[in-house]
Amino acid sequence: MTGGPGSRNGLADERVVIIGGGPAGLTAAYELSKAGLKTIVLEKDDIVGGIARTVNYKGYRFDIGGHRFFTKVKAVEDVWEEVLGDNFVERKRLSRIYYNSRFFYYPFKVTNAVFGLGVWNSFMIVVSYLKARAFPDLPEETFDKWVSNRFGKRLYELFFKTYTEKVWGIPCTEISAEWAAQRIKGLSLLEALKNALLQNKNRSPEEVIKTLIDSFHYPRLGPGMMWETVAEKITRDGSELVMNADVCRIHVSDGHVESITVRNGGGESELGGSHFISSMPVRELIGSIDPQPPDDVVKAANDLKYRDFLTVSLIIDTPSLFPDNWIYIHDPGVKLGRIQNFKNWSEEMVPDPKKTCLGLEYFCFEGDGLWTMSDADLIELGKKELGMIGLCDPALVVDGTVVRMPKAYPVYDSTYRQSLATIRGYLSGIGNLQLVGRNGMHKYNNQDHSMLTAMLAARNILGASYDLWRVNTDQEYHEEGDAEDYGLSEYEALSSTQPRVPESMPKPIEEAIIRAFARLDKLAFALSLGTASGLAVFFATIFLFLKEGTQADKYLSLLNQYFAGYTISVEGAFIGLGYSFFWGFIFGWLFAYLRNFFTGIFIFKIKRERELSSFKNFIDYI
Amino acid sequence: MTKQKTEEEKLLQAVALLNAKSMGLVFGILLGLLIFIATNWLLVKGPQMNRAGEYVIGPHLELLSQFFIGYSVSFAGSIVGFVYGFALGTIAGTFVGWLYNRIVIFRQR
Repeated sequence: MTGGPGSRNGLADERVVIIGGGPAGLTAAYELSKAGLKTIVLEKDDIVGGIARTVNYKGYRFDIGGHRFFTKVKAVEDVWEEVLGDNFVERKRLSRIYYNSRFFYYPFKVTNAVFGLGVWNSFMIVVSYLKARAFPDLPEETFDKWVSNRFGKRLYELFFKTYTEKVWGIPCTEISAEWAAQRIKGLSLLEALKNALLQNKNRSPEEVIKTLIDSFHYPRLGPGMMWETVAEKITRDGSELVMNADVCRIHVSDGHVESITVRNGGGESELGGSHFISSMPVRELIGSIDPQPPDDVVKAANDLKYRDFLTVSLIIDTPSLFPDNWIYIHDPGVKLGRIQNFKNWSEEMVPDPKKTCLGLEYFCFEGDGLWTMSDADLIELGKKELGMIGLCDPALVVDGTVVRMPKAYPVYDSTYRQSLATIRGYLSGIGNLQLVGRNGMHKYNNQDHSMLTAMLAARNILGASYDLWRVNTDQEYHEEGDAEDYGLSEYEALSSTQPRVPESMPKPIEEAIIRAFARLDKLAFALSLGTASGLAVFFATIFLFLKEGTQADKYLSLLNQYFAGYTISVEGAFIGLGYSFFWGFIFGWLFAYLRNFFTGIFIFKIKRERELSSFKNFIDYI
Repeated sequence: MTKQKTEEEKLLQAVALLNAKSMGLVFGILLGLLIFIATNWLLVKGPQMNRAGEYVIGPHLELLSQFFIGYSVSFAGSIVGFVYGFALGTIAGTFVGWLYNRIVIFRQR
């Protein structure tokens, strides 16, 4: 492509090297390609899409984890539409929890939960919740305390403990509460208040939450379809996509990346460039930099931890097994963490309508017992566990395969933040290197936020100046809540005033809510009401005194009943002022106090409801 | 610190400022209606015997005529009273709102 903005800005000769062919790397290439810049994308694997890839095994397609396509970032949604157009299917969400040989709807449904847990258990859950609210376990330093304090210890132990520990591989007592607070944001208080205020005019909060949780979009051939299409588009536009390209050294000199050494097909080659975008894991990136960064940076990088993941994909000789898109396996008796039913994501994922394809997901660490098991053993384990939980007769399994996904989740342990700060400090000195994506930034971004970091990185190359680290930090991002227009234009508008802060402008409705729920200043209200009533009585008395003199006393005998010593005279006017001020002050103070008190109760109620609403889709955040 | 937290903090720490004009209108309408309803209520109740054995309607409310020229305990008087009440209430409400805002601003300095 020629004549695009790239050439207009004199950037057409720039060479942009992108490390990683996942959602972030390919989005950066796509954005730059649209701007007329050609890029080189280096992908370590033989398939694009990173963790959002779709693996094709004998025509059976499966996803690494299950990627729902929903976002509040308008610019990302636009790219999805642009690339896939009509290739999205809309799916109703059905995901249940398997626990104690029973299925529980997730998000939870009260009747189903009470029926499944029994009346006594349900009663104890309520008691445990009330106890946690009345006597929270403080200080709230760990994940188990954070969850127990919000939902009660019993619910935590029943539904969150086992699954969280399966996913992260460490006891909940060792996961920081900060992680939970950061990850499980729920609905913002202002959003909840807005919903509460506008629920009659618009939709109820339940409806708002339901809309985005209960249905989602999905490419008809899996998320990999998106990235395969993007790869096609960028290569058609002149960019280069190199598969099986392992970046082994990044040569830095005078605060700039000069070139990188790439191992590809047994040989090594050196690649120069003017801009570099990296989505490779931070730990590997630091390890590749030549000359070696300072010891504290290397140590910080080595301290970063990842959770790995493997999918055992089984082909079952039956047209249908269960209606869920996926099932959470909370049963501690099996290693299995989650089961995806790809046919229920899109019928086209399975070529033979008489068969079903399940993805059995195991969370593990690279090199541990599960990771090093042979594929055949893993398939046997999957079949056995499927039989143990009673979901499928192992004899119906006709084929299977295994996909290992290293570094699927960056771990937010107690040291990661400090480590990342050290690394960021060092990398800020390398001017032409930008980090994007989930592993590229060691940030638990979903696909949309990974894409957004890449879009902003592309804009930076085109002359903007965004701080990519603020994506998914300052922005509100909830699965529930209304879909806000986070188009890139908003960031552009901000760049003139806050060049490195791509955050949304305060919205008038939020300011109005803050004003509406702001407390009254009791003293100010009491003083103003006291003064007004005091002056009213003072002037009324003076008026009557001037009009009728002391004869007017008969008219105000009633007031005398309350204000001892009050008369229609100048002296009486002052006495009346004093009394009225006093009573006006008391009334005003009480009014403001009660108004604040009841507003506070309302806010407290909404806050509790908000916390409980986050419980509805809590596991999705883990 | 997240934006969400900042907004929550803003909400919990914010002190309301009053819209003096709205406050004036509210006070005006309330006081006007109070006098209008109170007057008509006495009319509906009808005359009551006083200590002197005379039948009178609303002797106490009649006192308002000292301040509100033209007011009487009658239907026409209730409308006059509404107008006076509205005017006085508006002035008082606006004053309360204005003074409140000045005090809040002063206290926040």
